[in-house]
Amino acid sequence: MTTAVTIPRHGGTGERTAVAARARQVVKAYGTGETRVVALDHVDVDIARGQFTAIMGPSGSGKSTLMHCLAGLDTVTSGEIHLADTEITKLKDKKLTQLRRDRIGFIFQAFNLLPTLNALENITLPMDIAGRKPDAGWLRQVVETVGLAERLKHRPTQLSGGQQQRVAVARALAARPDIIFGDEPTGNLDSRAGAEVLSFLRKSVDELGQTIVMVTHDPVAASYADRVLYLADGSIVDEMHNPTADQVLDRMKDFDARGRTS
Amino acid sequence: MTVWKTSLRNFFAHKGRMALSAVAVLLSVAFVCGTLVFTDTMNTTFDKLFAASSADVTVSPKAAGRADDMPENGRPEALPASTVALVEKADGVKSAEGGVTSMSVTVVDRHDKNMGSETGAPTIAGNWTRNDLRSMEIVSGHAPRGPTEVMIDSDTADKHHLKIGDELRTIAVTGDIRAKISGIAGFTVTNPGAAVVFFDTATAQRKLLGAPGVFSHISVTADSGVSDTQLKKNVAATLGTTAAYKLQTQDEAAASNKDSMGSFLDVMKYAMLGFAGIAFLVGIFLIVNTFSMLVAQRTREIGLMRAIGSSRKQVNRSVLVEAVLLGIVGSVLGVGAGIGLAVGLMKLMGSLGMELSTEDLTIAWTTPVVGLALGVIVTVLAAYVPARRAGKVSPMAALRDAGTPADATSGRVRAGLGLVLTAAGAAALWATTRADEAADGSLLLALGVVLTLIGFVVIGPLLAGVVVRALSAVLLRFFGPVGRLAERNALRNPRRTGATGAALMIGLALVACLSVVGSSMVASATEELDRSVGTDFIVQSSTGQLIVPQAAEAVEKAPGLEHVTNYKVLAAKLTNPDGSTVDEHVTAADPTYPRDLRRETVSGDLAKAYGKDSMSVGSDYATLHGIEVGDEIAVAFKTGGTAGLKVAAITSDDTNVDQGAMYLSTATAQAYVSDERMPTNTIMFASAQDGKEKEAYAALKDALAGYPQYKVQNQADFKQDLKDQIGQLLNIVYGLLALAIIVAVLGVVNTLALSVVERTREIGLMRAIGLSRRQLRRMIRLESVVIALFGALLGLGLGMGWGTSAQRLLALEGLGVLEIPWPTILTVFVASAFVGLFAALVPAFRAGRMNVLNAIATDG
Repeated sequence: MTTAVTIPRHGGTGERTAVAARARQVVKAYGTGETRVVALDHVDVDIARGQFTAIMGPSGSGKSTLMHCLAGLDTVTSGEIHLADTEITKLKDKKLTQLRRDRIGFIFQAFNLLPTLNALENITLPMDIAGRKPDAGWLRQVVETVGLAERLKHRPTQLSGGQQQRVAVARALAARPDIIFGDEPTGNLDSRAGAEVLSFLRKSVDELGQTIVMVTHDPVAASYADRVLYLADGSIVDEMHNPTADQVLDRMKDFDARGRTS
Repeated sequence: MTVWKTSLRNFFAHKGRMALSAVAVLLSVAFVCGTLVFTDTMNTTFDKLFAASSADVTVSPKAAGRADDMPENGRPEALPASTVALVEKADGVKSAEGGVTSMSVTVVDRHDKNMGSETGAPTIAGNWTRNDLRSMEIVSGHAPRGPTEVMIDSDTADKHHLKIGDELRTIAVTGDIRAKISGIAGFTVTNPGAAVVFFDTATAQRKLLGAPGVFSHISVTADSGVSDTQLKKNVAATLGTTAAYKLQTQDEAAASNKDSMGSFLDVMKYAMLGFAGIAFLVGIFLIVNTFSMLVAQRTREIGLMRAIGSSRKQVNRSVLVEAVLLGIVGSVLGVGAGIGLAVGLMKLMGSLGMELSTEDLTIAWTTPVVGLALGVIVTVLAAYVPARRAGKVSPMAALRDAGTPADATSGRVRAGLGLVLTAAGAAALWATTRADEAADGSLLLALGVVLTLIGFVVIGPLLAGVVVRALSAVLLRFFGPVGRLAERNALRNPRRTGATGAALMIGLALVACLSVVGSSMVASATEELDRSVGTDFIVQSSTGQLIVPQAAEAVEKAPGLEHVTNYKVLAAKLTNPDGSTVDEHVTAADPTYPRDLRRETVSGDLAKAYGKDSMSVGSDYATLHGIEVGDEIAVAFKTGGTAGLKVAAITSDDTNVDQGAMYLSTATAQAYVSDERMPTNTIMFASAQDGKEKEAYAALKDALAGYPQYKVQNQADFKQDLKDQIGQLLNIVYGLLALAIIVAVLGVVNTLALSVVERTREIGLMRAIGLSRRQLRRMIRLESVVIALFGALLGLGLGMGWGTSAQRLLALEGLGVLEIPWPTILTVFVASAFVGLFAALVPAFRAGRMNVLNAIATDG
C-alpha cells in the first residue's frame, strides 16, 4: 500500500486556514464479505485554499468517489473529512445540505441546470434556496467573467453545451463558496468550448481567489490545474505541480503501462 | 413475436409505474361488476320470493291493482266466498283457497313502536292459508285460532325481540286489532324485509276487508299433470265471464309483482352504472397520462428500436399491447373486487334492515365478460393517442441527448378547437336560461354541459398556464423560491397538468352543479312555503300511507285546534266541455283548505270552488282543454257516481305545491261517493287557536302517539325535513361521485410519482446544490396542491355554470330561487388543497429518500 501523504502548501491569504478541505484515513467500501469492494483505501489528502486541484486516474480508480466524499455528497465508511474547520463526516443530512448550499459549489459533467429556470435564475438558485439575497456587484462581476450578460434570460434548452457549462460555473461562483467541485465539467464539450470553460475556472482561481477541485481524465483539462493528484485503486499514488498537458499525458501512460505489467 | 417480447418486458419492467393506472381500471370495473352482481342478486331474491309466494293460479277482482297498489280507502277489492266454491269445481283444480291480504296496515308493539321495515319494505297482513306454506313454515307456536291471536314472521320477531304471548296492535282501516302472538312463522326463502302478520280467516275478513265472508284473492292449486296455463283456462271457463276477474298463473303473478320492484332496481342499476361510467371517464385521463409519460421517458429507446428497423406500426402496436395487458390485469382484479363489493353492499343493506342472503349471490356469465371487455377497451382507447405518438418518434431520437422530453406546447389548433367548443357550449347554456319550454331547454342544457366539458378538457392545457400562474401569484408567492420551482414544474408540461386537473374537474363539476341545484331547490321550496302555507301543522305518514279513520279522529279531537282540514284524493274520469275525457285525480278537501294553503288564482274565486257541485282546475289543464270559469265538467268518480261540477276557479300552476290539483269540497264528494268507499285522508292540516300553538302541537303529538306511522310537523319541522331529504339525496350522490374523485386523486398521485421518476436527475442536482429534503418535499406538495386547485377551480366554475343554467331552466317548473351554496363550494375548494397535499404524500416521501448520488448518476 503506497499512500502518498502530500505536504500542504501554505498559500492563500489572511486569517482563514490555508487548507480548504482535508481528508484523513478515508475509507469507502461497498458491500460486505466476498463482495466487498474498496473504492477509497485510507486516503489522506489536503486541498489547499486558492488553488486549482485536478484529480486524475483511470476508470474505477475512485476519483469520483473521493470528490463526492469531499463534497459531502457521499458518506465515508471510516476516516474524517474536514471542510475548513467543520468535520463533515459526522454531519446529518440536514446540516450537510446546508453546508453544500452555503459553502460548496458544484459543476457536473452534464445536466447542471434546471430546465424550468432561465440562466440567471439557475445562477442564483442556491442563494434563493437559502433565502439569501445575491450580492449584486459580485453577481455582475461573475456574469461578466463568464461572458453571459447577453443570455441571462435564456432557458437552458436555448443555450449551447458550452454556454450551459458556463452558466453552471457562474452558479458555482456566484454564492462565493469555500470550494467548488467539478465532476468532469468539460467531459461533454468539444475542445474549444472545453478550453473556454477551463480558462474561466483558471481565471476564477487567479483573479477571484477561488478554490477548485476537479475530477477529470483529460490531460489537457488537468494541465489547467495548479496541482494534479493521481488516484489508482483507491489510493493517491502520485502528484504533480504546475503540470503541462504533455507531462500529464506521459505520467498517465506510465501508470497505464505499470498497470498492465503488474 | 418481438413486439410481444418487448411489450411484455416493458410492461413488467415498469409495473410500478403502471400500478396506479391498474388501480384506476380496477376501481371502475369493480364498480360496474359490483353493481351488476348486486342488482342481479336482488333480482334473484325477489324472483325466488315472488315465485314461492304465488299459487299455481291466482284469481283476484279485476279492479285490484298490483299487490302494493294501495286502495284509496285502504280496503282491498273483494270476492265473495261463493266464487271460491265455483272455482273449486273447475277441471284440474286440486284445491282453491280464499286468501285475504292487505298492505294498508301498521303493526305496533305494546310501546306503540312500529314493527314495520324502515327501508320501505311493506307491512302485510292476511289470513294464514295453505298457500303460505309454499314460502313459510311455523317455527314455534301455532297458527291464529281466533280474533285475539296473531302470528308474526320470525325476522320481525327476532328484530324486535317478540315472543309468543306478547300483545301486538294491528292498525287497520276498520279499527285496531289487539291480539297476542300465538305463533311465529319463518320464511323458507330470503325475505328482504317485509313484516308479515297473520290472523284467522274470519278476523282477517272482518278487519282487513271490512266485511265477513269475502276474500281478496283465491289461490288455486293444480292437480298433478295440469299445467298452470291449462288450469288458468279451465278456471276462466268455469267462471264464465272473466270481466270481473283477473287470473294470473304463478309466472304471471311473479312477473307482475316484480314489475314495480324491477323498475326500482333498474333505476338503481343504471344510476350506479352511470357513476361507474364517470369513474371510467376520469380513469381515461389517468391512463392517457401514464402512457404519455412512459412513451416520453422511453423516447430514446423507441428511437433505437426505429433505428434498428422496427416499423412505426410495430412501435405503435407494442405500446397498445402493453395497454391490453394493463387492461386485462386491472379488469380481472376488478371483476374479483366487484364481487367483493357486491357482498359488502349486501351486508350494508342488511345492517340497514334489508336482508339479502349470500346464498342468492348471482354472478351472470355476462358480468365478468362485460367487466373485462369494458376495462380492456377503455384502456386501449386511452392508450391510443400516446401509442400513435410513440410511432411518430424518429430514429434520430436515439442519437439525441434524451434529458427530459421537450416541453409539450399546446398547439394552436387545439386552442382554436377548444375555444370554439367552449363558446358553443356556453352559448347553449345561455340559451338554456332563456328557454320557454322545459323540453327544449333540457336538450340545450345537455348540449351545453357536454360541449363545455369537452371544451374545457381540450383547452385544459391552455387554462393550466393561466390558472396555475394566477394561483401561484396568490398562493405560492408565500413560499419563495420553492414555490416558484413548484409553479414552473406544474407549468412545464401543460398537457399533463391539464389532463390531471381535468380528471378532478369532472367529479367536482358534478358536485358543484348538484349542490347548486339542491340548495336552489331548498331555497325555492322554503320561499314558496313561506309565501303559501298558512297552516300550523301537517299530519302525514312518512311512507306515503293513508291516514286511517281512527287516527284522523284522534287528530280532530286534539284540544286547542282552531280547525282541522281533511284532504282526500279520488280517482275519476273527467269529461271536459271540449268533449275530451281524461283519467285524473281530484282533491276533495274541507273549505278551510284555502287558508291552509294559499293559492293564486288565474280567474274565479277559489272559495267558491268549495261550494256545492263546484270545483277548480289548474291553469295548464284549463288552457289545454279550453276551460273557463262557469264551464261544467262531468266527473265520474271511480268509487261512486258521476257529478256535473261547475268550474268556479282556475288556479295558477306556477307553484311547486299541489301543482295542477283540482279542488272540490269533501261535501261535494260525499254526495256522490258512499262513506264506505270514500277514500281515507292522504294528509291532514290543522291550525291552532290563537296563542295556543305550543299546547296544540303537544296535544297533536299526544293524539298520534299510538300511531307511530304518522308524524306531526309544524312549518319549521316541515322545512327542516325537506332540507334533510334533499341533503340526504345529495349525500348519496356525492358518495357515488367519490369514486370518480378517488380515481382523479389517484391521477394526481400518478402524475406526481411519474414526474418524480422523470425528474430524478433534476432532484439530484437540486439536492446537491443545497435543496433540503423538507424543501424538496414542500416543492412537490405545492405542485400537487396547485394541480388540485386548478382542477377544483375549473370544476367548481363549470359546475356552478351548469347548476345556474339548470336552475334558470327549472324556474319554469317553479324552481324560482337561485342559491349558490358558497360554504359548500368553498369547503370543496379548500378540501381540494388538502387532497393535493394528500396525493403528494408518497411521491414527496420517495423523492426525499432518493439518493443524491444515484440521482446524479442516472443516465437518460
